[in-house]
Amino acid sequence: MAIPGIGLVKGLWITLKALFTKPVTVMWPDEKEELAVRARGVIALDTNNCTSCMLCSRECPDWCIYIEAHKVEIQPDKPGGRVRTKNILDRFDIDYGLCMYCGICVEVCPFDALYWSPEYEYSEYRISDLLHDKQRLSDWMATVPRPAELEK
Amino acid sequence: MTHLDHRGIVEVSDGGVSVELKGETMTLNIGPQHPSTHGVLRLIAEVDGERIARLDPAIGYMHRGKEKLAEARTYAQITALINRIDWVSGFANEVAFIRAVEELVGVEPTPRAQYIRLILTELTRISNHLVFASSYPLELGGATALMWAFREREHIMDVIESVTGGRFHTNFNRVGGVNPVAGGGKSQKKVSLDLPAGFYAAVENAMDRAEVACDELDQLVTGNEIIHMRAKGVGIITKEDALAYGISGPNARASGVDFDLRIQEDSLLPYGDFDFDVITGENGDSFDRYLVRILEIRESIKIVRQAIGSVPDGPLQAKVPRVLKVPPGTAYVRAENPKGEMGYYIVSQGGRIPYRLKIRSASFSNISIMSKIAVGQLIPDLVATMGSLDFVLGDVDR
Repeated sequence: MAIPGIGLVKGLWITLKALFTKPVTVMWPDEKEELAVRARGVIALDTNNCTSCMLCSRECPDWCIYIEAHKVEIQPDKPGGRVRTKNILDRFDIDYGLCMYCGICVEVCPFDALYWSPEYEYSEYRISDLLHDKQRLSDWMATVPRPAELEK
Repeated sequence: MTHLDHRGIVEVSDGGVSVELKGETMTLNIGPQHPSTHGVLRLIAEVDGERIARLDPAIGYMHRGKEKLAEARTYAQITALINRIDWVSGFANEVAFIRAVEELVGVEPTPRAQYIRLILTELTRISNHLVFASSYPLELGGATALMWAFREREHIMDVIESVTGGRFHTNFNRVGGVNPVAGGGKSQKKVSLDLPAGFYAAVENAMDRAEVACDELDQLVTGNEIIHMRAKGVGIITKEDALAYGISGPNARASGVDFDLRIQEDSLLPYGDFDFDVITGENGDSFDRYLVRILEIRESIKIVRQAIGSVPDGPLQAKVPRVLKVPPGTAYVRAENPKGEMGYYIVSQGGRIPYRLKIRSASFSNISIMSKIAVGQLIPDLVATMGSLDFVLGDVDR
């Protein structure tokens, strides 16, 4: 059929052409990649919205969310009113060493307390430091982006 | 050439004619950690000189007990585990499982959800085949193709990420449809999130780039004489063997088995609406298995291009109860995964969790033929054969 070795020559020709094309490498950490708005990077917690209902903790496939809360009684404003109870969140930890980033907790939360953020730079030297506590999870709230525009 | 060697070695291992080659066999362990095995596959090879007299694939190093884990998890939680079975084609794993649950519940997914599933499945197929088509030359000694195909594959991963929020582990299918809620935003989470703006343009661009990758691979690899010498006539699977061993997917089609679950009557997704060909090979050797996949990428590009122009409007999810209770019963649903036939058998006794989940994965059956076709091969040819079967150890061991 063809000239012997033509396949090799073709391959070398295309590699030669590639030599003169612009590389697409993103030189992280000097340059940052632009991530999708919906990218699942880290889970942020809005403590004001959380009612300690434990739904996220129960629905998590590997049970990496730890919640502790206590009840306080709220006295009625005027005499004769009903005494209400409220849950105060003591502990809300997510163990990112276990988390599968499936997003079920964000989905099941009925009170909009959990959000996804595309932030991903939180690696640690010790695996125990991957357990993010309430404060650290609340800090991620600042990185939650606006939802993406939809296709018309 | 090689099939003549093959005939010769059978005589040797039978204690036959070739006196100077007759000697004691030696056991050679390849793996569990080995650059050519795509994971932790251990091959126990009995070698007679440079040739393999007997080969046992020892599996189980990647066993994660998915089937057992599923017995203690709700259906939504299992979906998150399912896409980790074959992590190169995560989205395609989910579709068949969710379809099996839908069959038990008696819910039909909405047409729009079906189309989105189809587009993402085909994108996954292209990405899976690009991984194969680029890592296969690497196993034969050429590293360039890997970088190039991965570069173009990145566009596909970006598209999948922009819709689902995940690159590999999408966890995007829900009973009755698809659920794009990942990454909402302040108090807008409950608003139904559809395809993101610029999705069709991004898919179009990714398809262009995938075509570029195919063209580059064609010039760099497909016509390359060294690849021909390494892969042609190596690891031949006959049509009969392919059927007998339960080989499926591109591996079976390379052997001339004209079988594709996408165009069967029990096809899960509306492939009937599109015009595409089922690629079959002739020789069933390693090169054909490579070629079938390259051509399948082009067919998938064709399907995606047709599909993005005709996504119907409508809801993304059918009406299902908030707490999903699955009635007692059994269902087996199979689908054409990029690697072959992926089937899920669910036994439900009612309630939120399945009683039993059996997973039929393609790679498990596909590597079972290794011990047959490797006999008589040279050790370097073993790598060429193994690579061409395109298995992932997560898919083998589950």
